[in-house]
Amino acid sequence: MSLLIFDLIENSLRNLGRAKIRTLLTLLGVIIGISAIVSLMSVGNGFSNSIESQLTELGSNTIFVIPMGSSFVKNTRMTPGDISFMEGVAGVTQVAPVYSTSAMLEFNKQKINVQVSAVDSKNANIFDNTGSFTVAEGRFAGANESGSIVIGDKISNTFFDKKIEIKKLVKLNGEEYRVIGVLAPQNQSFGGGFSGSTSVLMSLEAFKRIVPNPSAQIIFVKTISAESVNLVASDIKEYFEEKYGEGVVIVSSAEQLLEQVEAILGIVTIFLTGVGGIAILVGGVGITNSMVTSVLERTKEIGIMKALGASDKIILSIFLLESAFIGAVGGIIGIIVGYTLAIIIAFIAEMSGVPIIPDINLEITIGALIFSMIVGMLAGYFPALRASKMDPVSALRYE
Amino acid sequence: MNRFKTKFSQILNNMAKTNEVLRLDKVSKIYGMGGEKVIALNNVDVTIFRNEYTSIMGPSGSGKTTLLDVLSTMSKPTSGNVFIEGVNTTKMTNSELASFRGNTIGFVFQTFHLFPRLTALENVMTPMWINGVPRIEREARAKTLLEKVGLKDRMEHKPGELSGGQKQRVAIARALAMNPPLIVADEPTGNLDTKSGEIVMDIIKKLHKDEKRTIILVTHDKNVGKQAEKHIYIKDGKIIKNEKIETNKKTK
Repeated sequence: MSLLIFDLIENSLRNLGRAKIRTLLTLLGVIIGISAIVSLMSVGNGFSNSIESQLTELGSNTIFVIPMGSSFVKNTRMTPGDISFMEGVAGVTQVAPVYSTSAMLEFNKQKINVQVSAVDSKNANIFDNTGSFTVAEGRFAGANESGSIVIGDKISNTFFDKKIEIKKLVKLNGEEYRVIGVLAPQNQSFGGGFSGSTSVLMSLEAFKRIVPNPSAQIIFVKTISAESVNLVASDIKEYFEEKYGEGVVIVSSAEQLLEQVEAILGIVTIFLTGVGGIAILVGGVGITNSMVTSVLERTKEIGIMKALGASDKIILSIFLLESAFIGAVGGIIGIIVGYTLAIIIAFIAEMSGVPIIPDINLEITIGALIFSMIVGMLAGYFPALRASKMDPVSALRYE
Repeated sequence: MNRFKTKFSQILNNMAKTNEVLRLDKVSKIYGMGGEKVIALNNVDVTIFRNEYTSIMGPSGSGKTTLLDVLSTMSKPTSGNVFIEGVNTTKMTNSELASFRGNTIGFVFQTFHLFPRLTALENVMTPMWINGVPRIEREARAKTLLEKVGLKDRMEHKPGELSGGQKQRVAIARALAMNPPLIVADEPTGNLDTKSGEIVMDIIKKLHKDEKRTIILVTHDKNVGKQAEKHIYIKDGKIIKNEKIETNKKTK
């Protein structure tokens, strides 16, 4: 049998080659299925990795306070009292509300919508001390500079036909600002889910010119140590539950948030993989269909092969190899297409402010390849078995 | 597989001992399960000795084709036993039987049954890879065989580019690929013009005369069948005549 394997492979390849269009169409089905699974897994993993690294980067001593609103209040506004309560909780070292909105950025008669974020003067360090944001050129805006902004590298370099140089004047929702710094290129996004590359950062004073009465989207609470995080978080949570009711304000440590996000992502990934699985199933049915036709067409040939000494096992191997080959080639192309799609999706996501590095790893690659071959073999098994069990005499005289 | 190998070496041993290549022992073949039954072969006994050139003749519907199928192990008898080289083939599994057939019987069919997408050379090599002949031996052997049937300059041609007579000669070369002890030819001239038919019959005759091969020729054509040394006539599933023509006068 070991001697035979090369002959069997050669024979199978020849047979696939003679029904080119059918082979190609069958391949297409497998490619669609495998590329769907690969791209979804790659993007899913990449997204979850990027969230994970963001949250870990923010540190294990960070608590996020996110006002969500309830059925009565659309967007719960944090009052100065709320802020000072949090500042007063034992173990808290910093309370930094982050304000963000989207605004129309106008430069050189071109208008593009961007994400604008701000912190108040005493928390001005929050942008740089996370390590997420570094100014490549220029500097961050000072606390009371209401006319200066820092822009992301993508806004500076690629968003507009003309590069926005430092010291240029731009308009945000019609208000005039001067660019005093450009951020260094980076892939991490800040806790609020916006990317530095595509953001405009400014002081709260400057932000008030666009949104006169701003309300914090997210508040970062830093504690002395990682150990005190849970205690502080439950104190803050209790306070808000008493004041606004349950679930109106989300209070979560980086770790808790990570767990929640991963749980949600897990469900989404399972669902999407299921969709990919259905696509692969359809691809498999395509293989079965094509092999059934092929077996029928080659009935006479099967009879001749049997007369010449081909055992059931040889006939079975010939057809199984053909379907496994379709599976494998479909798998390889599907993996390449899948990763390409993942890169495109990641690129689009980044343009819309959600940075994802598609996860291209050996596990997904090998897994997808083995999976596609198994699908190929399973799908081809029934037709191959039928071919191998054919009666030699009736196969030989089949017209 | 190993079981088969020991069996095969037994066969080789037997070959030295016995002169009997093929023996059908009280073989019957009945078609149609339930309902109307057709007795295609009725208690047939046939023995073919080494180096015999036998023709099986009979009108259509006589059971001639069924006899061919059963004696060539392509189909199993309903009752009775088929011995090839002293081995009872009726007890083998389908896969054992296929490998056994590949090594002991060479087929020549009326409609050639070549693989249309393979060249003449590749067609002759096919039984060799199926039966596990090492790659390096195949080509040389196939070339020798094609030369023997006079197709030295047609080796790279596909069946579609060959005449009927040439196709049948490729088929004969293929039948010899495994050097089987028995050649079974089913109406080998049935699809050929007179001249090509004669060439093919000459090759078969030479295989018998010069190479001492054992040949069974199945035909409805008396003129073709008469060329054999032993004539078996079948009618209604029974052997009605089995005559050995004593040493023909050397007319040629």
